Amino acid sequence: MINVQNLYKKFGTNEVLSDISATVKKGEVVSIIGPSGSGKSTFLRCLNLLEVPTDGTIEINGKSLTASNKNIHKIRQEIGMVFQHFHLFPHLTVLENLTYAPIKAKGIKKAEAELKARLLLERVGLSEKEKAYPNSLSGGQKQRVAIARALAMEPELMLFDEPTSALDPEMVKEVLDVMKDLAQSGMTMVVVTHEMGFAREVADRVLFLDHGVLVEEGQPVEFFSNPKTERAKDFLDKVL
Amino acid sequence: MNLDFSQIVPYIPFMLEGIWATLKFVFFAIILGSILGTLLALFKIGSIKPLRWFADAYTSIFRGTPLILQLMIIYFSTPQLTGYDISAFLSAILAFGLNSSAYISEIIRAGIQAVDKGQTEAAQALGVPYRSMMKDIILPQALKNILPALMNEFITLTKESAIVSTIGYLDLMRRAQVVGADLFRNFEPLLFVGFIYWCLVMGLTMIGRVFERRLKQSD
Repeated sequence: MINVQNLYKKFGTNEVLSDISATVKKGEVVSIIGPSGSGKSTFLRCLNLLEVPTDGTIEINGKSLTASNKNIHKIRQEIGMVFQHFHLFPHLTVLENLTYAPIKAKGIKKAEAELKARLLLERVGLSEKEKAYPNSLSGGQKQRVAIARALAMEPELMLFDEPTSALDPEMVKEVLDVMKDLAQSGMTMVVVTHEMGFAREVADRVLFLDHGVLVEEGQPVEFFSNPKTERAKDFLDKVL
Repeated sequence: MNLDFSQIVPYIPFMLEGIWATLKFVFFAIILGSILGTLLALFKIGSIKPLRWFADAYTSIFRGTPLILQLMIIYFSTPQLTGYDISAFLSAILAFGLNSSAYISEIIRAGIQAVDKGQTEAAQALGVPYRSMMKDIILPQALKNILPALMNEFITLTKESAIVSTIGYLDLMRRAQVVGADLFRNFEPLLFVGFIYWCLVMGLTMIGRVFERRLKQSD
């Protein structure tokens, strides 16, 4: 599904990602963990070209992201993204947030888009909020709407960029529950997270990044109980 | 004190017609200025260098020279250069529209850049094309922030419109001068149209407030 080969990313002279190669299979849930500044968010953002890689290749479903930017809109439509700070459209209602992109980018009819949007709102438990504006929602509700908005495009792959880091502690669970539900439904997911519990419970594989280098990867059970590298051991000692 | 407003009474219908004459070209100038200003703002934030240079050069010229000069150049040089006998009305729309677009483009540029970058990223991540993103996501949010500055610009334009009296266009200002010359009394007609200008600006201010309230719906 995702095939990343020898990915480099530099901001000026600062090398943020260095020679990263990784693959993600269809239906797999991969967690990316690592200290802050390790490049994990940048790596995730490269996967839908919000950051343009300096070097290397990325293929999603056999289509190269790095070869030409011509069809970038089409490719991005197949990749859902959830941000740390939600980035809901504040001037649109919850329902309009969900229907906007399907109508504008995919050309789906309004009635059909609204029908699907209502089903998704039900799925994230926010049916009664469809006419509300984002500013009236709590953080957890905003993030659930943001997940539903991404799902409204019926993506084949979902990227999560620290989806619970900006939430009050009591709201983390409601978002993680939605993500677990999504993982169980067979969605391919790449999740940058500080939630070690989520990574351990839900992820099929863990990637550990430090200083822009993919230091270690493995099964969560293996990785958390018995990390192979010194750097991963250090990191886990600090966070667990 | 030698003040006698009764003398201007017969001239009041003549001066009131000036409201229409003024509003007519101000309206078109605002439309032209807004459309052109938006385009220039998009050029300025865009990635196409020649367009960016063009927009910057345009702004520097139209902000860097007096409006009355621009008006006169358009009105007097068009017949001289092209043979086309341009009307005072069309000259006024062009001069005010082109001049205003330079200011409006700066206001809109600042408004767009003040919208959270995450909004652009969210729209891009959803695969929304640039045009739709600008039209439906970024500009509406920018507009909300810049509405007071934009209203300022429209108010300035309405008042400065009095400059068209210099090319003989029969607007409010010009009509006050005509009446003054007829009566040998200037203060009363000037005061009268001054009051009308103030009313027009108050009207604009009120329209602006209504818009502002409507845009605040989502807060």
